Amino acid sequence: MRDTPALNRRARGAITLAVIAVLVSPVAFDRDSFPLSTYPMYSSSRGSESTLVTAQGVTADGSTRELSPTLIGDSDDPLVVVGRLRAALSAGRGDVRCTEIAERVEARTSYVDVVVIEIVSERHDTVARTLGEDSLVEREVRSSCEVSRT
Amino acid sequence: MSRILDATAPATRLAALRIVVGTFVVVYLVGRLPVFLALGDRPAADFDGVGVLAPLGSPPSAGVLTAVAAAAFVSGIASTLGWRYRPNAVVFAVAMLFLTTLRGSWGQLLHFENLMVLQLVVLAASPAAEAWSLDARRAAMWDGPEEGADSARYGWPLAVVGLVTITTYVVTGIAKLRYGGLGWMSGDTLQNHIAYTAARLDLLGGNPAVFAEFAVRQAWILGPLAAGAVIVELSAPVVLLGRRCRNIWVIAAWLMHVGIFLTMAIGFPSPLFGVAFAPFFALERAPAWLRRRVARDRPALSR
Repeated sequence: MRDTPALNRRARGAITLAVIAVLVSPVAFDRDSFPLSTYPMYSSSRGSESTLVTAQGVTADGSTRELSPTLIGDSDDPLVVVGRLRAALSAGRGDVRCTEIAERVEARTSYVDVVVIEIVSERHDTVARTLGEDSLVEREVRSSCEVSRT
Repeated sequence: MSRILDATAPATRLAALRIVVGTFVVVYLVGRLPVFLALGDRPAADFDGVGVLAPLGSPPSAGVLTAVAAAAFVSGIASTLGWRYRPNAVVFAVAMLFLTTLRGSWGQLLHFENLMVLQLVVLAASPAAEAWSLDARRAAMWDGPEEGADSARYGWPLAVVGLVTITTYVVTGIAKLRYGGLGWMSGDTLQNHIAYTAARLDLLGGNPAVFAEFAVRQAWILGPLAAGAVIVELSAPVVLLGRRCRNIWVIAAWLMHVGIFLTMAIGFPSPLFGVAFAPFFALERAPAWLRRRVARDRPALSR
């Protein structure tokens, strides 16, 4: 093991340049992947209004109830939850995802008042929402399904 | 470039990095194991392979996932201890690459684990178990004790691991200028990103970051902070200029991550716990430093 000599300087230089080239290749090709990335998160310009996708519970009297990330996306990571929701909607599988959420809600006694699940796109003034002010600009129901209460 | 190519270090410094990174990743793996294993329950229709998993048309089975997670755990402990290092380190790096790539293969690329995995890959190719390892202990029984001379054999791999950190930050800084333009540094964009993240968490039933509302309300501080973030990211190569530059940059980068966590509830584990910056420091001196501290404090305690 210790008999192996250190690489010569030229070899070290070639490998070092190759490592740098590999790490910056996503920038050159403008292609984000994993683990080689352009790290585009939060780098784009963003206005104060944004469209957010989520799922909500609707009670018998028509009021809405927030659901937890675990109920919506079977994960505690909001990025994963939103990603899965978006992926399902863009693949035309919103109804399937809605049913999955309804099944998770059905199993929770604390959500016994929820009778319908809605997957919605909501446009908010996010700055106003963070400051606790009225923020909803637009709301579109993308998918809806009933929670079985047998 | 010569600071990287001609960097020398004792075997113990590279070994210390192996122990720090290995311990961190094993603990991370154990902590996130439910998340990794839950990937086996996801609908195959949602699978969108990226990176090394891009050629796959469907996700691996739950059985394969469990086997890879188990292999990662066992090889992670073995390589951290420096037992049959090379094969175990390679298995550990490949298994973690598999698991973390799979996590980002469901329509949402995640960027928390890139640096951690890239560091593992470089370490797996390095002679990081020639000191402070079971392999080194076994070799010493046959060949006598290891000599402690500094060598490029250990210094250069350390420098390459550090280079991975440096390049990652530079690429991140480039992204902000490329996609957001100079306007990103005005602070408005950062305010909107913080507000967007808070609103998204709120709508998903989660808790927004502790200082999200404060940051959005005190928007005047976000301009300097946004400019500061870009400067920190693009100036990462200054860590190669000497101890003072290194310390200032590492503190600035760490504070940036703390700020991101407090205002956006987004935690990048490797930098937050200092592991991303570990290759820049003489970690092998930590045990002796701790012993001196204990010896100095002991008389004071006994009085």
